[in-house]
Amino acid sequence: MKVQVLQENLQRGLSIVGRAVATRSTHPMTANVLLQTNQGRLKLVATDLDISISTWIGAKIDEEGATTVQARLISDFVASLPPATVNLEIPDRSRQLKLECARNEASMSAMDAEDFPLVKSIEDGVRIQLEPKAFRRAIERVEFAAANDDSRPVLTGIHFKTEGPRLTLASADGFRLAVADITLGAAPSESIEVIVPARALREVARLVGDSNEPIEMRVNTARSQVLFSLTDTEMVAQLIQGTFPNYSQLIPAQYNTRCIVDVDEFKRETRIAAIFARDGSGIIRLQMQSSNGQAGQLTISARADEVGDNEGRIDAAVEGDAAKIAFNMRYLQDVLGALSGKVALETTSPSSQGVFRPEGESDYVHVVMPMFVQW
Amino acid sequence: MSHLGKRWPRGYTSEHMSDRRATVIHVDLDAFFVSMELLRRPELRGKPVVVAGGLGSRGVVNTCSYEARAFGVRSAMPVGRARQLCPQAAFLESDYHYYSGASKAFHAILRDYTPLVEPAGADEAYLDVAGSELLFGDAPAIAATIRQRVRDEIGITASAGVSVNKLVSKVASDAGKPDGLVAVAAGEEAAFFAPRPIRELPMVGPKTAAALAGLGIRTIGDLAAAPVPALESRFGRQGRELHERALGVYDAPVLSGHGPNKSISRETTFEADEPSRDVLRAVLRGQAERVASDLASQERAGRTVTLKLRFPPFETLSRSHSPGQPVALADDVFAEAVALFERAWAENGCRPVRLIGLGVTNLQERGRQLRLGEGIESDRLAEAMAAVRERFGDDAVRRAAEIPARRHDSF
Repeated sequence: MKVQVLQENLQRGLSIVGRAVATRSTHPMTANVLLQTNQGRLKLVATDLDISISTWIGAKIDEEGATTVQARLISDFVASLPPATVNLEIPDRSRQLKLECARNEASMSAMDAEDFPLVKSIEDGVRIQLEPKAFRRAIERVEFAAANDDSRPVLTGIHFKTEGPRLTLASADGFRLAVADITLGAAPSESIEVIVPARALREVARLVGDSNEPIEMRVNTARSQVLFSLTDTEMVAQLIQGTFPNYSQLIPAQYNTRCIVDVDEFKRETRIAAIFARDGSGIIRLQMQSSNGQAGQLTISARADEVGDNEGRIDAAVEGDAAKIAFNMRYLQDVLGALSGKVALETTSPSSQGVFRPEGESDYVHVVMPMFVQW
Repeated sequence: MSHLGKRWPRGYTSEHMSDRRATVIHVDLDAFFVSMELLRRPELRGKPVVVAGGLGSRGVVNTCSYEARAFGVRSAMPVGRARQLCPQAAFLESDYHYYSGASKAFHAILRDYTPLVEPAGADEAYLDVAGSELLFGDAPAIAATIRQRVRDEIGITASAGVSVNKLVSKVASDAGKPDGLVAVAAGEEAAFFAPRPIRELPMVGPKTAAALAGLGIRTIGDLAAAPVPALESRFGRQGRELHERALGVYDAPVLSGHGPNKSISRETTFEADEPSRDVLRAVLRGQAERVASDLASQERAGRTVTLKLRFPPFETLSRSHSPGQPVALADDVFAEAVALFERAWAENGCRPVRLIGLGVTNLQERGRQLRLGEGIESDRLAEAMAAVRERFGDDAVRRAAEIPARRHDSF
């Protein structure tokens, strides 16, 4: 193999695939990156066996070939080079990759590309075209509600389900539930219902960034893998097998109190209350008061034994009865962090679900179970 | 309404009892530690006795008999000074473990007459018996019954004061000491106070008394008659308060509950060292229930569970664990405690145990994160059990698991 690439391109490519490099390696190759000439470009691949990221960078190919080197070594090396052309060469049967850039020469132990765990691209199955901004927003509104511990593996993933031209993403960790809808340009050829690891989707959202390039999602016929295809990058992830709990009955159809507030004000008062709540039980109390059709008020308060307490008020449009509910401060901060503009909080009692809906949008709902406290 | 005004758990309060009937009782055990020592050392009766927390030079007098008081010995006096004043006294070291059983029995007697008991130490408490009179008679009658029961059941004497508020009842019980009962009828507070020396008013210490003496005030009645502006110019804001107290005016209600404890625990000492895992686990189960009830009544949860084990003769160990979620319910307290117990007991060769105890520390506001689709039935059960125990005592309701499994003999 003999190729020339620009340092900037190689650095960017290595940083993209670097997210899939295993941090605690069980398979020696999972700490490596694969470099392979492919259709006139240089393809970089890394995998931790759960997810695999491939990216293609422009290259001048003098001799086809492939090799694999330690990801951290080549990334750190390339990131330190000046912006210039990098020559990569690996003589036949050699175990050393030679790199030349400007007046710097290096050689790295290489391993046989044949031993790199092969992650097949997905060509069969269902294809779904996604608009990048809507998809990224949906991911960001659900990923934080997925479980972090493996006690129920299905809850570490995001549930994807299509119904005609609507794709619904849902996550739940046992205490909260987030559901986001995306309207697709066209209904997929067949409907899907799969569970994608939340971690994979966080990486997809990161890869999408501010790009406007469309994304294609492919789910294989066996429903064991998903592929997200961006312009120059692909990610393949193993799907989580199992049945996602039926969550629809956890979203209350009715409420006794509905309180609409400005998200930024709500966030600010929550942040202040959290300063006190964090030293105690992490409880933030919310009290909603209307005053006979006049502008209502939302009170956000917290207290900690032997530390102190705080109470903040913001204007609110309150419909229905006065109400109170207490939440874990993290859950409250998480959902507010995913929203902007105005949010409606709907409650039925202090010990049943609190429902957050962005005001004026019907494509997102977030349900948080309250803390059972004495008032 | 803001919850922030209320700093500590509600419990019962007597705030709403504003019709000014004499329903507040102050009960105080007479020379408690000394009385307890005399129970087991009757030969010291009638002699000066001093009980101190340590008999060395740094010891301090906890309690002294009335005979020792005649020599000028007082509580909180250094032992060395007490020995100078009364060298012939019997000096005994405090045995708190021995006294605590009597203290518990004392408070349990009080709770038989109302849940509204505010402990003010191991040996004194305030009760508001408004609402109990139909059952037990008026407040002086209840005070008399309590004094009789303390004598019969514990073997020591108590003094009691009855009035419309805690301040007057406290002064009244002091006036009745030892072994007396003083009842002040509603409206008679100022008259009862008037002839009494100023030092008998609880907020008046030696410095205030000296300052008052400078104004010619020697009795509580003098203080009540003094012009408020004069008191305010001498004592600032405290002046008005002094004046109100002198008239027997005091608003603080009797509050049940124990305020913000730093830990809640129970321990059991076995008469014979206990070898049975089943019994030890059952005792632990019972302790978990009681601790959880206390947590519930104080509306607290604990981040750390501690197990204490003592092997004979005096080898004590304690093990703690802080689970991720604070514990509040008996099942959770027990699960943590029993895991600590099994490990600690096995590490010590499963030897017979002299004492087993269970505590919860790092207390914080109680709040349980509900799970999706979950109701609050378990909390309701715990609340109901705590309410029953508050009213009828720890043993009124028990888990079946507290009763050790009986070994079935095979045929």
